[in-house]
Amino acid sequence: MPSIRRNPKRLLTTAIILALDLIVLAWFAFPLLWMFLSALKTQAGMFTMPPRWIFEPTLANFQILLDRGALLYFRNSLVASLGAVVVATTLGSLAGYGLARGRFRHTKDISWWIITTRMAPIPAVLVPLYGIFRGVGLLNTLPGLIVAFTTFSLPLAVWLMMSFFRDVPKELEEAVWVDGGTVFQSFWNVALPLVTPGLIATATLSFIFAWNDYLFATVLTSGPTQTLPVVTASLQTMHGVVWGQVMSMGTLIFVPVLLLGVAIRKYLVRGLTLGAIK
Amino acid sequence: MSTPVQTPTQQLQVVTAQPKRIPILGRLSPEGWMVLPTVLVLLAVSIYPFLYMIRMSFFEYSPLPQVPSKFVGLGNWVQMLQDQAIWASWLTTAWYFGAALTLQLVLGVAIALLIEHTPYFRDALATILLSPMFVAPVLVGLLWRFLLHDSYGVYTYFLHEIGLLNNVSILGDPRTAMPAVVLMDTWEWTPLVVIVVLSGLRALPHDVLEASVVDGSSYWQQVRYITLPMLRPVILVAALIRSMDLLRYIDHLMVTTAGGPADSTKIIGIRIFEEAFRFFRLGYASALGLAMIVVTIFLGRLFVNVLGEEQGAPGA
Repeated sequence: MPSIRRNPKRLLTTAIILALDLIVLAWFAFPLLWMFLSALKTQAGMFTMPPRWIFEPTLANFQILLDRGALLYFRNSLVASLGAVVVATTLGSLAGYGLARGRFRHTKDISWWIITTRMAPIPAVLVPLYGIFRGVGLLNTLPGLIVAFTTFSLPLAVWLMMSFFRDVPKELEEAVWVDGGTVFQSFWNVALPLVTPGLIATATLSFIFAWNDYLFATVLTSGPTQTLPVVTASLQTMHGVVWGQVMSMGTLIFVPVLLLGVAIRKYLVRGLTLGAIK
Repeated sequence: MSTPVQTPTQQLQVVTAQPKRIPILGRLSPEGWMVLPTVLVLLAVSIYPFLYMIRMSFFEYSPLPQVPSKFVGLGNWVQMLQDQAIWASWLTTAWYFGAALTLQLVLGVAIALLIEHTPYFRDALATILLSPMFVAPVLVGLLWRFLLHDSYGVYTYFLHEIGLLNNVSILGDPRTAMPAVVLMDTWEWTPLVVIVVLSGLRALPHDVLEASVVDGSSYWQQVRYITLPMLRPVILVAALIRSMDLLRYIDHLMVTTAGGPADSTKIIGIRIFEEAFRFFRLGYASALGLAMIVVTIFLGRLFVNVLGEEQGAPGA
């Protein structure tokens, strides 16, 4: 293949590709860059037009959020998301293994039912949950929110773990059975350690979806049980629109999740397609 | 992982090795016992609410919790079918769904091909590109509301600088609100299509592509007649995932237009949310929600059938 320098036509193609890359990069990255910059501006500084690119950064917005008790909502978000992760990965590993290995008459129907639960539109799911929670006193509680998050995190975990367990060669587990072991022993001692990266990816994705939820939390919690996204959305009405705080809070919600997401990059496609594409 | 060469003895073991059975487990297999907790939990958080919702759809609820609900039979259902606003919402949903899905698939495939041909920093580019997916949908809404703000939105400023939409409130005008929210969703979710298609591209057999180059076909012919047809299953999966989530999420719309202006972005999900949690007409919202779930169940069946064929499972 001729080198770039010696072939003008190829040079032009490369130039066009790089130019398009820049446009794509700007389109996707700019809003996030703007969020970070705005979080570091003073309330007055952020409304100057034309926009100011060089300015003295301030952490005042973050300070205000701390003073207003943002840590409580941070804790709520963390408890609810981690609760959902624990339930989803524990039950999901067991069920994923069972569905991957067991022979049932209705495996396909069970999988379909589980996936439909994950895909059900949130506004529609919320209506009966709200009715039920109101009756049994789960409204405005963190356990209630964990139950609500389970409706999507458990199906996700089951499907992903099923896909990871399918990759474990059955021969490895048979060694345990030859020695008189049970299915649970081969699951615990052989299969589960082999899918640890998959388990971490599953837990991370469950966490991200729960952490990022707004709709469930805005209906099912209030006051001291609210989560970060709910509080962020309500910042816009409390004292007019406090965009600096909204953008700071946005940064606080987004950065941990971005780091987690990049950490499981290798499993992202598989995770987001529920194991369909590896 | 490479499969070890099996000797005849090993093969014999493969056939005979069976897990030890524990008699007290009864008729259900051990695998069955492992699935059971999940089935029970999902019965509680999915089937029970579903049945409860069917029941709710036959009642009329008062906004006050202490006032008992009133049985109205098929009243909510009849009202739903006669409600012009609901039909209008379905039409709005179709526009939103169609526009966003088409845009995201076309852009996603195009950007994936672009990245595949980028000579430098390919992985860094792909990593930056996927970050919008991790922004909480409600933040996407807040962020875009800020970018498109009438007086101090930086995108509004850019648009005005190049002489576009000068006297238009982008999120406040029925003509521009829908394109704006479609672009907002496209910004967040095109990266999903990109990484799915990229992984599909990596898995393509390179000998086929090279053979076509030898045959003298142009790059665009190669894309049209070889690459795209081979990517079909991958694109289909991306399309299904996006279809489900386009119906599933309304977070970003709730904090930008909330269905307005003049119902121009009031997709069915927002309508349900309003009926249930603004007007507290839980019975009517249940009927609407059930109609929406029927659509989802249909998509779910499609999903399992398509994936069942792709990966030879589950239980296909």
